[in-house]
Amino acid sequence: MQHLTLASPAGVFLSLDAVLILLTAFACLGSKLFDRYLTYYGLQSVLLAAAAATAALVTRDDALWLLAGLTLGLKGIAIPLAARRLLVRRLQLKRDAGLALGLSTSLILGAGLCAFAYLVIGPQNLAHGLISRSIIPLSTAVLLLGALMMVVRRHMVAQLIGWLIMENGVFLGAITLTASFPFIVEAGIFFDLIAGFLIMLAMTTGIAERISSASLARPRREPS
Amino acid sequence: MIALPILAAAAPLLGSLAGLVTARARLAGVATIVGALLGLLLAVVTAVVVIPGVPIASSGSFVYVDGLGAFFAITVAIVVFLASLGSFSYVATEQRRGELSGRRIRVYFVVFGLFATAMMGAVETANLGLLFILVEAATLASVVMVPIEGRTAGLEAGWKYVIISSLGITIALAGTLFIFYAATGLVGSPDQHLTWAYLVAHARSLSPVGVRLGFLLAVVGYGTKVGLAPMHTWLPDAHSEAPSPASAMLSGALLNVGMYAIIRFVAIANGRLGPAYASHVLLIFGFLSIAVGAFFMIHRRDFKRLFAYSSVEHMGIIAVGLGFGGVLGLYGALLHTLNHSIGKAVLFLTGGTLVLAYGTRRTDRIGGALTSLPLTGGALLIGSLAIVGSPPFGLFLSEFVILRAGLAAAYPALVGLFLLLLVMVFVGFMYTTSRMAVGQPRAEVVSPYQGRLERWSAAAPLLLGLCGLLLLGLWIPGWLNSLLLHSVALIR
Repeated sequence: MQHLTLASPAGVFLSLDAVLILLTAFACLGSKLFDRYLTYYGLQSVLLAAAAATAALVTRDDALWLLAGLTLGLKGIAIPLAARRLLVRRLQLKRDAGLALGLSTSLILGAGLCAFAYLVIGPQNLAHGLISRSIIPLSTAVLLLGALMMVVRRHMVAQLIGWLIMENGVFLGAITLTASFPFIVEAGIFFDLIAGFLIMLAMTTGIAERISSASLARPRREPS
Repeated sequence: MIALPILAAAAPLLGSLAGLVTARARLAGVATIVGALLGLLLAVVTAVVVIPGVPIASSGSFVYVDGLGAFFAITVAIVVFLASLGSFSYVATEQRRGELSGRRIRVYFVVFGLFATAMMGAVETANLGLLFILVEAATLASVVMVPIEGRTAGLEAGWKYVIISSLGITIALAGTLFIFYAATGLVGSPDQHLTWAYLVAHARSLSPVGVRLGFLLAVVGYGTKVGLAPMHTWLPDAHSEAPSPASAMLSGALLNVGMYAIIRFVAIANGRLGPAYASHVLLIFGFLSIAVGAFFMIHRRDFKRLFAYSSVEHMGIIAVGLGFGGVLGLYGALLHTLNHSIGKAVLFLTGGTLVLAYGTRRTDRIGGALTSLPLTGGALLIGSLAIVGSPPFGLFLSEFVILRAGLAAAYPALVGLFLLLLVMVFVGFMYTTSRMAVGQPRAEVVSPYQGRLERWSAAAPLLLGLCGLLLLGLWIPGWLNSLLLHSVALIR
């Protein structure tokens, strides 16, 4: 996507969209209701699908359209719906009590990570005038926020969401920065994501059936 | 030609098919063994084809096997074959005892084949994206095997494994993206941009910032899979809770596949940044891993955890070998992956028999294995001696080569530290395992296997593996030598 410049309408929309994706990641980090996690994740995926569709529109790449559709259908609708039915409702999860850090501390850390992302990537080093200049630091920031979520939340479901957010961050970089990513690779990553989600879903329910749901948030003791 | 590596990777799926059809462990087990043997033979044939230096490549390089890939494919295939023999007797015994339901047995064999195929596929592609996908697929398949015996601890270990590995591997994907970004200025089709073959060839024109960042992220990401400290925390849990033949695959094969991915990134980084950068990064992670492995091996009460920490240590040794660099260092590191795979597969399969016979993994409840189970006890003792690097076994030779590489690279202090840690490992490991092998035998312990077939399939991998290790310690076949030298030339 060498010709997609920062100043073109599509470029402006993509940058805006990426900022909104970052904000949904922050919203997730700043909330402690399981229902909200899923809502924000679904919203983020819809925004991601919009980004993919924009890229598809500009590059006239059919594979990207397919990817946008898959993102919308699976990540935007199916995963949040399945997680809500099978995890949040069935295990009667409401408030996430397994916070290793307070919400405000996590948010401040998250802001620090965003600054870190810009510092590491150094947009000034990237090619001038291209969309990647605004997208790469943003997608890195989303990735780091997802990782932070996995670290500061102890509940298994929250960690699962953190991983999904990380994956979204990488995907944002992949579809917008490198629209020329081979389709087979993108499809494979998607397949892995779905398989991973299903396995984690099965494990979470498996563990919840054995032990009380509260212990899902307790870290495993190391046997000597 | 192109069909060769594809068939080699697909052969283990025979066991998966059998698992879909039947829940009888013996039947599915035989199919798995046949598939694994077929895969091993095809992997060897593939290696013979690529040894002259002409890689097998499809258009777009989605399938691409050169010397290094062929070498790792053989390593993986050997472990898969040994583990398939072990699986037969282990799972058949568990089925007879009613510890595994028919459904779980089906899942076990289906996943076993998928796991093996994903690993073989991962080392037979040049596309970094496909490499990521297959490593992740292998991880997910292996995650299913960890809790299969139905213990809560197994489920928890599986969760820890899947969450930490997924986190790590996503970081590796980000690293791949940065490398890809570093190459966007190059001419050529996008399919090529993502292959290391192309990236290594055009390394000079990559952007150094992108390569540096991408390499670091890839080492941290795939290093999580490899179990390099400090990202190793999931490893002892998963490797000890999985059924023993699965542990053999995890330790002997999957860790190597992760290391293979790192090696490919090393080749790219060396091409752009020179050898110093990658070398320093790997030396830091390597020594940290050896140290962590050595310290945590002291007085382990669960012998499978002991083996797992030994894997951390050995991955550290391989990283150190890569870090010392030069022909010697790389040669030693590659040889060490092969030796460690065989040695660790033997130990974990021995462990499987011990778990079945004693019904525990606690070292203080196991004693006199040499008397009660002569073959298993003997394999435990000899395998332990081999894995801590005593002569005349292969691991001694490869560790010695790495040591020599350290001296050649003028790191005398590091070589001293390396030796000191190895001595610690020797004491820590042998103290525990020798007491399991000798000591007071327990009267009630008998061989868990019934029938000649089960006994043989349990004994065969131990004998084959130990003979192989002995052979590799005394003599390196000419074709293996040329394969290794060819691989070394690809990395430098």
